[in-house]
Amino acid sequence: MNGYNKCFPLLFLFLLFGVNTTVLAQEITAKEIIKKADDKVRGKYNQGAIRMSIIRPDWTREIEMKSWSSGDDYSLILITAPARDKGITFLKRENEMWNWQPTIDRVIKMPPSMMSQSWMGSDFTNDDLSKATSTVNDYSQEITGEATIEDRKSWEITLIPAEEVDVVWGKIKIWVDQKDFIQLKTEFYDEDDYLVNTMIAKDIGEMGGRILARTLEVVPAEEEGNMTKIEYLNLNFDDPIRDAFFSIQNMKRVR
Amino acid sequence: MNSQKIVIVIISLLLSSSLFAQEEQQKNWVLTGYAKSMQGIFNTEFPGIGNAVFTDNFLHNRLNFKWYPNNNWTFKAELRNRFFFGELSRIVPNFKESLKDGGNDVLNLQLLNIGDKVILHSILDRLYGEYSKDNWEVRLGRQRINWGINTVWNPHDIFNAFSFTDFDYEERPGSDAIRVKYYTGFASSVEFAAKAFDDPNKIVAGLLWKTNKWDYDFQILAGWAQRDAVLGLGWAGNIKQIGFKGEASTFISTVDSIDNTFTGTISIDYSFKKGLFLSGGLLYNASKNVNANLFAFELSARNLYPYQWSIISSISIPINPIASGSFAIIYSPVNGHPLFLNPNLTYSIAQNVDINIIGQILLQGDGNRYFSPTQVGYLRVKWSF
Repeated sequence: MNGYNKCFPLLFLFLLFGVNTTVLAQEITAKEIIKKADDKVRGKYNQGAIRMSIIRPDWTREIEMKSWSSGDDYSLILITAPARDKGITFLKRENEMWNWQPTIDRVIKMPPSMMSQSWMGSDFTNDDLSKATSTVNDYSQEITGEATIEDRKSWEITLIPAEEVDVVWGKIKIWVDQKDFIQLKTEFYDEDDYLVNTMIAKDIGEMGGRILARTLEVVPAEEEGNMTKIEYLNLNFDDPIRDAFFSIQNMKRVR
Repeated sequence: MNSQKIVIVIISLLLSSSLFAQEEQQKNWVLTGYAKSMQGIFNTEFPGIGNAVFTDNFLHNRLNFKWYPNNNWTFKAELRNRFFFGELSRIVPNFKESLKDGGNDVLNLQLLNIGDKVILHSILDRLYGEYSKDNWEVRLGRQRINWGINTVWNPHDIFNAFSFTDFDYEERPGSDAIRVKYYTGFASSVEFAAKAFDDPNKIVAGLLWKTNKWDYDFQILAGWAQRDAVLGLGWAGNIKQIGFKGEASTFISTVDSIDNTFTGTISIDYSFKKGLFLSGGLLYNASKNVNANLFAFELSARNLYPYQWSIISSISIPINPIASGSFAIIYSPVNGHPLFLNPNLTYSIAQNVDINIIGQILLQGDGNRYFSPTQVGYLRVKWSF
């Protein structure tokens, strides 16, 4: 009935990409480390293909999509799997969002509340990602230790939200690789300091000319056997995409 | 004659399976579709006769073939195949004929309509070529022209209005038409569309202008639908975080036997963080309907729902990533107070297999009592490929 319901989950992917701010790192502070790690997986322009798997003890479901983005404001997503949703696209331009439903040949304007939609049932919440950029601005960062993860020497950085900011997490701990600035592991804690989710970087290698984690796994602390996995099938940074690419006309043409 | 058509269908099925086997590399075509099993049961009360319970059973297959030889050209052919074996197809008078008329436009693209007690029906409901270059898009052939902007009811949908109760045919029949569209911006365009006709009383044509301003989409329609001149205005935007849409058309009749009319609708929708989705809408239909019957009224953009006023509210609830439920209520504050209830449960049993349980319940009063003349339940199993 409401065509766009079943697909809104993907919106958070807009957020995996986006935001690019130049870092002038001279002396590395915790803040700069976080920023560098953030920038690692973002460019002014991004183009890529992603597979997301929701894994539960009894079943697994996969969603695949292609995405294009320019800065924080423009993005286009094409669903390529599952078969039921293949061909559906989402367009975001600044505060507006549209959904193209090929079966009914119609573009549907989406309410703004859907932009902050959660990824229903998966172990990612939209806020994790929509507020990813806020790990720089809304939290205070401090280097709280060092550790070796996946044979990589890393800083342990603890993020505490600023008092007046309304954020989801009470605390975030991030382990960042000292050589390639890869966000190797992230722990999300609630306000009572209980661990909620752990995000683990896997399959580190070259993609789109950068060394990064090609797989991310999010594991909830309390639910055994549950996991959400994101695999980057390909990524391309910095090939310019014109603003005009992000149009209703193109929602129907991308493939 | 029929045997030839059977051959066509078989060839297209074979072709599709051999296409599957081909390599994915560099391919410039796509074949998608689904196969559904629809098992339904009706309980209907006929005035003065009593209750009747009957079944509606059919298998439904759809093949969507798309070929894009280069960046400018796209060709689409979509085939809808159904095999009816329930009681409904035997009870409804002229069921076979209605399949032909309901799915066709001016051209007869029905490939099969055979059988007596059980019926096999096959029809091409999309068959078109599209040329697009720069800001232009030209499409010719059997296609869906969906001009609505609102969520449930669409007074601008003069080519092929959608009925809320017809949940199993979201694609809708196509129109044999030409459509020329010119994009003037990222969310703005001007388009002209006209349907083929063999009877001057069936002319449908129009101009639609879309624009985007203040984070709102607006559209203005000027057209001709059967025997009416049509003027329409619609919008889709938001009030803070709440989606706010509206769509209205005025129909100016050119014949004395048909009244002028007006159809207008507004709706709001909101999505909560966990995925719970709420929407509400209001429809005003100035047409004077006599003996309105929700399951058998003459659907058109001027008559989207058979009562003067209707209010819809719906909720959809994600239970977990593979299960969700929804519930819609349409209440019409008119004589008899008709109430339409539509619960729906969706469960994904495998990556590409979904099960739906769908209910449609009608309640109304006849002056003496408030009762339910019709209850419908369907179990749908759908495999998408």
